Amino acid sequence: MSSIETTMLPVLQAVLSGILVGGVYGLLSIGLSLAFGVMRIVNFAHGDLVMYGMYVGVVASTLLGIDPLLALPASFVLMAILGALQYRIVFRRFVGHTTLNQLLAAIGLGLALQMAAQLVFGVDARSAPSMFAGSYDLVGPFFFARAQIVAFLVAGVATIAVELLLRKTQWGKAVRAVADNIEAAEIVGLRSQRINLTAFALSCGLAGIAGTIMVTYYPTDPTKGFTLMPIAIIATTIGGLGSVGGAFLGGIFCGVIQQTTAMLWNSALQDVPLYFLLLVFIAYRPTGLFGQRSE
Amino acid sequence: MSLLEVSDLSVAYGDLVAVRQVSFAVDEGAVFVLLGANGAGKTTILRAISGLVPARSGRIFADGRDLQGSAPNQVARAGIAHVPEGRQIFANLSVGDNLSVSYLAERTEAPMTAALDAVFQLFPRLAERRRQLGGTLSGGEQQMLAIGRALMNFPKLLMLDEPSLGLSPVLADLVFERLATIRALGTTILLVEQNATCLELATDGIILANGEVALAGGRDSLRDSEFVRRAYLGI
Repeated sequence: MSSIETTMLPVLQAVLSGILVGGVYGLLSIGLSLAFGVMRIVNFAHGDLVMYGMYVGVVASTLLGIDPLLALPASFVLMAILGALQYRIVFRRFVGHTTLNQLLAAIGLGLALQMAAQLVFGVDARSAPSMFAGSYDLVGPFFFARAQIVAFLVAGVATIAVELLLRKTQWGKAVRAVADNIEAAEIVGLRSQRINLTAFALSCGLAGIAGTIMVTYYPTDPTKGFTLMPIAIIATTIGGLGSVGGAFLGGIFCGVIQQTTAMLWNSALQDVPLYFLLLVFIAYRPTGLFGQRSE
Repeated sequence: MSLLEVSDLSVAYGDLVAVRQVSFAVDEGAVFVLLGANGAGKTTILRAISGLVPARSGRIFADGRDLQGSAPNQVARAGIAHVPEGRQIFANLSVGDNLSVSYLAERTEAPMTAALDAVFQLFPRLAERRRQLGGTLSGGEQQMLAIGRALMNFPKLLMLDEPSLGLSPVLADLVFERLATIRALGTTILLVEQNATCLELATDGIILANGEVALAGGRDSLRDSEFVRRAYLGI
């Protein structure tokens, strides 16, 4: 084996693993991006819904004895309902512009969710391996955890489904119309509050899916949501707040940077270049790579 | 019975009274104009009818139904379409999506394709630009789109807020020509204008000054009035 191959192979391995991990970061981020793009709501509690999605997987696996992957639909529905409640009680008041009050309300809500999780589930880390746990696939010189391949596929399918929903269905067009001009949407007869509620519920349902799929290879505890938020925020900023496909690609980008940093430098410092990139994007390209025009 | 009946409508923004005790009635089949200078309260009246601003006092009945407290989407669903000031099309949606998103199945028996065909027949230009984003259209095309969008719900009453504003005389003529067609097809029209040339199209209307009705009457009595002569014709 030549020396170029021996140095390049591990890097390529890190890039490919990064893409797999990043797909799930992308799934975390598209819900966040959707809530911002449609309602200008920055939902700091989004990560905590991901955390609850992880516990849905834990409950399915330990209490009910079923594979956490089979709990994906339930996780989506439960978090969508929780999201709809959040919208009705809290975020309905803040549609249209991101304010300090809105950010504080979201952070407070996130903390409350976190405390509730601590009361119910305790503080210990829990995991919920799926039937794919412990299997690895060799593709040429590279190897991948099968649980991560499955997670990537679920994330990719969910992203494409959301894009199609927004582009092709009457509901999706209504969501985009409300996002574009809420007053005009009302005067052509669209029920903007109801449409926003469903869009917010979808955004939270996606958080649930992301959590349940993630807990198949990554243990959870009540603070997990909060620790995942920076990655989701960086991915949406790089991809462009408000762009669903962009947030997915932003997530993949974050995964690749993270894994190659861990490989070439130090896994304890794997997020450092991401924070640096976040600063660069906020300073020089706040709309991200695929973002909407900002007002 | 009148299609739209506004009685003693007053609207205020804080302490500023924009519309004071305005009453008028629009009969079915009419082209009713609200004529007046900038700041006379014309836009505010349309916005109050649509439920976009609350009335301080007075009543608004459409088809005998009290619109008080209705959300804008309920007014639209009751068959009152509003083509707002500045067009307000959905800039990030394609022309086709602007139209199809505005179609409400509950308003009509006709399928969406029939509604689209009717709009494209009226404004062939929109059919050509169907895939283009609304925000990339010219001012005239945006006005056509705003009118087309309002027609997707087969309204009984079409309210337009200065549809000729900012258009070239040729395009403005085209828009008014189309309004005549829309009326001939059976839609009642409530037209807000500063420009007295719209009286050609009108059946009757009112002239507003400082938020109050200065004059009410048929087209000819409005056109021959001292008020219009002085304000618009300079004689």
